[in-house]
Amino acid sequence: MKKINIHILLAILAFSYNVFARDTSLIKTKNWYPDYTKIQFAGNIGFLSIGLGYQFFNNRLYSEILYGYVPVSISRAQKIHIITIKNTFPIINKNIKEIIISPITGFTASFETGNNSFLKLPDKYPKGYLITNAFHLTLFLGAKVHKNFIYPKIIKGADLYFELGTVESYVLYAFLSKEVRINQILSSAIGINLYY
Amino acid sequence: MILQKTIKIIELIGIIIFFVGCNKIFEFSPYEANVKEEYKNTTKKNIELINNIQTNIDTFSFAFVTDTHYHYNNLEAIINDINKRNDILFVIFGGDIAHQGLLKEYQIFYNIMINLDKPYLTVIGNHDYMSNGEVIYKQMFGNYNYLFEFNQNKFILFDDVVWESNKYPDFDWLSMQLSDNNKFKQVFVIAHISPFSDQLDSNMEQTYKTLMSDNNVQLSMHGHAHIYSFRKVYKDSVSYLTAPSIKKPTYCIITVYSKSFSIELVKLKS
Repeated sequence: MKKINIHILLAILAFSYNVFARDTSLIKTKNWYPDYTKIQFAGNIGFLSIGLGYQFFNNRLYSEILYGYVPVSISRAQKIHIITIKNTFPIINKNIKEIIISPITGFTASFETGNNSFLKLPDKYPKGYLITNAFHLTLFLGAKVHKNFIYPKIIKGADLYFELGTVESYVLYAFLSKEVRINQILSSAIGINLYY
Repeated sequence: MILQKTIKIIELIGIIIFFVGCNKIFEFSPYEANVKEEYKNTTKKNIELINNIQTNIDTFSFAFVTDTHYHYNNLEAIINDINKRNDILFVIFGGDIAHQGLLKEYQIFYNIMINLDKPYLTVIGNHDYMSNGEVIYKQMFGNYNYLFEFNQNKFILFDDVVWESNKYPDFDWLSMQLSDNNKFKQVFVIAHISPFSDQLDSNMEQTYKTLMSDNNVQLSMHGHAHIYSFRKVYKDSVSYLTAPSIKKPTYCIITVYSKSFSIELVKLKS
């Protein structure tokens, strides 16, 4: 009897797993199960950054939490560890046969300490002497190409994207000064999103 | 088909990069300190330029500009004014050439300074130490403490930043450099923070003040306070100059004579 009960239990678990696995929206509401994994190169949020992403508002907003790393060989100072929240907005989605091309825009908010940067003003300074320099924003414009895979096993689809972006302080300097040209403050990033 | 499209997209990306002409195609963090080779050793290069314009005349002038931060339009205006003045032979910056100590800020400063027709030297400021500014300054300019001689006058550039640098000023080095003061017509010391300013405690202030008065220093030059002040602060022979920041386009011209000097405060139209 016990053996039969265990089999029934396993069958129910397997069935429920299949139901949840097929209905991603149900999974999302039930769990913090992410929609995709992002891997990005450059873009002022790390030499490489990796993290988990979620689609919101009928795929009008893509939000991710990322960990970025810059090794000493690249930073030429200390290792840089960056935690970033990134938000990307596809402006339009253009279907061309099996792929979807989207111009994108968005921003990131990054947090970093450890490179003479601080969240809370260290005690050695007088109160109000400096504001935190641990946060930076980036702004970007770019393009994304999406493809759904025909025979998905684990990865159902993927995005490849390219961005031109800058940092909030650099925008301020370009705005305040005619000496700072736009090409001095822009840099590129490339990355992929893998959907499951 | 997909491959062809991907190739086209990569081509498009290449074209965008080409047209935008980014100074640096990929940037990994605002905190990075990867200084390009062409930007390095600026102090050494400029001391060589200063050595090439040495003369035997007693009277000459140099400009003192300080606390640039991100006032790049004013920096450009000051440089243009200095370029027009034939009497100014070189320029000394009193620190805070960056605001957050970011590589981008150092690069912007460097690129604007290319327009200056005369040699320039810098002393490190407290803002220059922020983020990875300490590493960037060392690569882009050179030593934090250094000196040069001009027409038998000695100029000592001294790093006295305490809080942001997590260091104690190297007064032993300063004392050693001042010990041969009698060989020079006059001695000038440039440090970002004045001894009577916030970062130097009473012991440091006393040490600095004594080193100046005991070693025949005529003028101690500073920034940091963002205001103009020129006076004998202590009851000794040393004059202390604090130059204003360039939030408004102002700078000082110091004219050096055989045994004395004079100071002119130049205020340009905003």
